[in-house]
Amino acid sequence: METMSSTVSMPFPRGPTSYDEISMQQSMLFSDSLKDLRNLRKQLYSAAEYFEFSYTNDDQKHIVVNTLKDYSVKALVNTVDHLGSVSYKVNDLLDELVDEVSGTELRLSCIEQRLRTCQEYIDREGLSQQSLMINGSKYHKRYILPVGETVQGAIHTKLNYQGCNLDDEDDWHQLKNAIRSTIGDTPSVGIKGRSPSPSPRLAQQPGNFSFSGTITRKDLDKRTMSPLRFPLLRSGSFSSKPNTPKSSRPTTPNRSRPTTPNPSSGRQQYILEPRKSASMRIYFEKESPKDIEQSPSKSKRLLKALLSRRKSKKDEMLYTYLDEY
Amino acid sequence: MARAGGITNAVNVGIAVQADWENREFVSHISLNVRRLFDFLVQFEATTKNKLAKLNEKLDTLERRLELLEVQVGTATANPAMFTT
Repeated sequence: METMSSTVSMPFPRGPTSYDEISMQQSMLFSDSLKDLRNLRKQLYSAAEYFEFSYTNDDQKHIVVNTLKDYSVKALVNTVDHLGSVSYKVNDLLDELVDEVSGTELRLSCIEQRLRTCQEYIDREGLSQQSLMINGSKYHKRYILPVGETVQGAIHTKLNYQGCNLDDEDDWHQLKNAIRSTIGDTPSVGIKGRSPSPSPRLAQQPGNFSFSGTITRKDLDKRTMSPLRFPLLRSGSFSSKPNTPKSSRPTTPNRSRPTTPNPSSGRQQYILEPRKSASMRIYFEKESPKDIEQSPSKSKRLLKALLSRRKSKKDEMLYTYLDEY
Repeated sequence: MARAGGITNAVNVGIAVQADWENREFVSHISLNVRRLFDFLVQFEATTKNKLAKLNEKLDTLERRLELLEVQVGTATANPAMFTT
């Protein structure tokens, strides 16, 4: 009884000053509680032996029984207190460890996410570096698709056209503008001495490259309006008037055709329509101001050369120049 | 006299029986509380073991992830040219 009461009473600690001292005091209290729980069994065994000896030897058994009852109640309450305190401390310690592990998991997840972000950035940079080294096949814009080509072919051509050099296209565009301005300023001059030139009927068909044929006076007048034989410029007017009657084209090769609209011609227009749009799309995509600014000096020199020769040689030299290109 | 002595003995026996029942009741209360304490200890042991098992599992996972990170960082530091490009 005396030993039990002496072990329960513990000195009250002084006020803590830092986190280390608090944790140290808590650990000391926890170790004292565990030590008391270990000593409790010995105390209970010694108390049982004492009460047994007193009950057998002492005459006042009633007093011994009452004392035993009081001691057993106090011992049970004390044991419950010790077990509650120890279990609470163990539970608190486990919760602290679980929280610490959860915090460590969170920090580790953050580190992994940062590492993954760095890896993705490195992969993207490497992919961009590798993609810049790929060069696509080069096609010039003025090579219009043949007649039997479909829209997929035009799109494929457009896709393959992405990586080609822009200098020739810009020069070609500047050349076309210069020719337009030049022909627009000067009156129409006969070009009878000029060798082969396509008829407007053939020029209106973007897929036809025939350079042979008879030239009429009407064709020459039309040529003065637009000297380019290539259908890229004509395609705009061609699409703006899709329902042009056949009678407006007197130089059609097949004169025996009826005046009613031919279904095959309508189908041909339907086939040619996407081709025009594809070429125009390429034209507008490649005609960005940035691309034009890249080669201004070369185009200006070309224009100056063309304009200087305009008065002397006029359109003959121009068409020969176009034939060369 | 004999009649009075019989009554006294009966009263004493009754008192002794009542005391015995009181003692039995006390012992039953004590045993019930001890059983409750034992149940609490068993439950506490199970809960603590479960928590410790979860904690051990988390620590194992953390250890593996840390080892993986150490390997990745070691690989990255072994190839410093990867970061200089």
